[in-house]
Amino acid sequence: MTSVARSASPASAPSLIRRFRLIGFSLIGIAVYFLILRLMLGNTGTATQQVANALTLGAIYALVALGYTMVYGIIELINFAHGDVFMVGSFVALWTVTSDPWFQAIGLHQTGTVTALPLLALYLLVMFAVSMTVVGLLNVTIERLAYRPLRHAPRVAPLITAIGVSLILQNVIQIIVGTGDRPSPKIIPQDAFPFLGAEIRFVNVFIVVTALILMYILTLFVGRTRLGRAMRATAQDQQAAQLMGVDLNQTIAITFLIGGALAGAAGVFQSQYFGFVRFDLGFNAGLKAFTAAVLGGIGNLTGAVLGGFLIAFVEVFAAANGQQRWSQAIVFVVLITVLVFRPAGLLGQQIGERA
Amino acid sequence: MKLRQVGAIAGIGVLVLAGCNQGGTSGGGSKGTVNIAIELPQQGSEKAASDPIINGIKLAVKDAGGVAGNYKIEIPNSVIYDDAKDGAHDPQTGAQNMSAIAANANVIAVIGPLNSSVAKVQIPISNEAGLLQCSPANTNEGLTKPEFGALDIRKANPNKINYVRVVTTDDNQGPAAAKYILEVLKKTKVYIIDDTETFGKGISDNFQKYLEANGGTVVARDGVPKTTTDYSAILTAAKAKGPEAIYFGGVTATGGARILKAAVAAGMADVPYIGPDGIYDGSGATKDSFLNLAGDDAKNAFATAAAVGDFPGRADFEAKFKAEYNTAPTGYSATGYACAQVVIDAIKRAGDAANMGELREKVRAAAVDPSINYTSVIGAFKFDANGDTSQKIISFYGYDATAKDWAFKSQLDFAK
Repeated sequence: MTSVARSASPASAPSLIRRFRLIGFSLIGIAVYFLILRLMLGNTGTATQQVANALTLGAIYALVALGYTMVYGIIELINFAHGDVFMVGSFVALWTVTSDPWFQAIGLHQTGTVTALPLLALYLLVMFAVSMTVVGLLNVTIERLAYRPLRHAPRVAPLITAIGVSLILQNVIQIIVGTGDRPSPKIIPQDAFPFLGAEIRFVNVFIVVTALILMYILTLFVGRTRLGRAMRATAQDQQAAQLMGVDLNQTIAITFLIGGALAGAAGVFQSQYFGFVRFDLGFNAGLKAFTAAVLGGIGNLTGAVLGGFLIAFVEVFAAANGQQRWSQAIVFVVLITVLVFRPAGLLGQQIGERA
Repeated sequence: MKLRQVGAIAGIGVLVLAGCNQGGTSGGGSKGTVNIAIELPQQGSEKAASDPIINGIKLAVKDAGGVAGNYKIEIPNSVIYDDAKDGAHDPQTGAQNMSAIAANANVIAVIGPLNSSVAKVQIPISNEAGLLQCSPANTNEGLTKPEFGALDIRKANPNKINYVRVVTTDDNQGPAAAKYILEVLKKTKVYIIDDTETFGKGISDNFQKYLEANGGTVVARDGVPKTTTDYSAILTAAKAKGPEAIYFGGVTATGGARILKAAVAAGMADVPYIGPDGIYDGSGATKDSFLNLAGDDAKNAFATAAAVGDFPGRADFEAKFKAEYNTAPTGYSATGYACAQVVIDAIKRAGDAANMGELREKVRAAAVDPSINYTSVIGAFKFDANGDTSQKIISFYGYDATAKDWAFKSQLDFAK
């Protein structure tokens, strides 16, 4: 994948080689992780299962982290509301299928598993379409109302505003649904298939594959389209991009739209994988995703994905060894260690403070 | 057993007499009005647990005719405090509430809280203020028993007990669950997961101790804080250890239903899942209750409750409650009722006082007196020197899939 903060060359032969190298490194990474787990747990099935857990969790973190990193890349704002945007996405996904009267009216009411494959595909398509659209537009609205007026204000102003937006989103959802967990029907059948001694559920495969497809589409969009080029140009130098005829407001709005849409997709995963949603879900998810973005090098798309998976791997590793209570601490120890040696994150490039 | 029946009949008799008395005399309430404060979490899943308790308390006051001795008793909404913050009980909020309650001169006693972690920070405040506090639900043994560190909690007046409870403690509730798993479910290998809080960790410790001493084994144990979203990895790890039963130490708000769902997703749908009274919080129709959140995944769920499940006159109480509120009571509606009975009885025995401060102290002393035999809705009991009830009964509930509710299975009396 390409970087927003630093332009990448347009898709060409070297980039293709890079991409294959990336896939190769990822597979080697997963294999090493599996071997370590296998060695520590002494059970192939459990190790496989844990790798599946880690990949699924990582896919969700990575999608949310992408939203952080894109927004940071383009306007250098740490959008603390992004975790809550993800939370809203999980509620939209839930409302699309549950007994909410509005959706009942359009015949989408569903409380259990959908077994007929065409119907299931239709439901999932509708869930993704609704959740990604609504949350994408929500993110654009937030940018228009809360961040755009502050674009030339001192940096701390939009930062505080972002925290404010985060609280507003949480409280609005809290008022609507209350404070408890909301159970979410898992419409994807919970069936599993045997793989390397483990029982891998289809929902895990579905989440990882869908997330990878979304990431690939994002890469194509940023690397190959006019708007993507405008985004990269804006990330490099707003004024120069504007002089070259890039519509700044539009470009930034599209960045928020895409970031929101990815969070919406992650929301669908949340409701389908964990089977519950909650108004304060965004805080933890946001913290993890933000950490992932920083770990990978904030502003860098590949870095965000790498960071998301790494954090999930570390967390699952801790839990798999019975050290769940230390997982948060271990995640941050890893983050600090990385930042000590690579202050810009794993894949981030050192960028001087802008004038 | 016979004694208990006699006590129960006497108790009902006392209630009837009290009712007649108020009907006959107009002297009730001549000395003024006092308030009984209520301190319970009322958000999210804990609202499901607390509402039936509040109704139980109000029903007791109503049954007493709203008077005790020469005082009128009222529970205005201004003295019903909520210690929940962002959907779950919050000890800091509980402490602030207790300070406000102690400072309110009209409050003669307080009923609550629900959670032991909240009680732990409230008792020092109510103890210093000399305010009678009766909990209908706290079970952590460290709140009262000196050998578990209770003297640190009632530091201000260690010898003036002000905190009593009408439910038994986790050194009974934990072992009861272990006994149930070993003897009724006939399983020996157990996985324990707790929420790392005062109540959850404490009861799991008691559970583990009894289980291991009686031929069971703990295949693994985890502590997971309530902010966790993803439980898949720990339950996958747990499944590899081959547990025959899962014990959850905690409450619904700290992850009870989420962990069950993750266990089912990890392929342990047929492994019995046993929790304490923290997951015994209403039927599947109650918003935010454990059964509501867990749905069909609860098919192998069991819960213990420190409340007496089967008490003499239970059917009458349930009918009366249902007639009043149009919902079925939970096990803790009756303990809320019993707490209110303790307070009302203490006010009656305290007699008149010159001012509210004196009355508060008289009521406290009357309530905690170890020589008093209470005849309450849940049967006869005494408080011991630490404020613990002599009634040591744990009830067992299992999931009833057709009613989508907890069904009473049996109860165990540790006093025998």
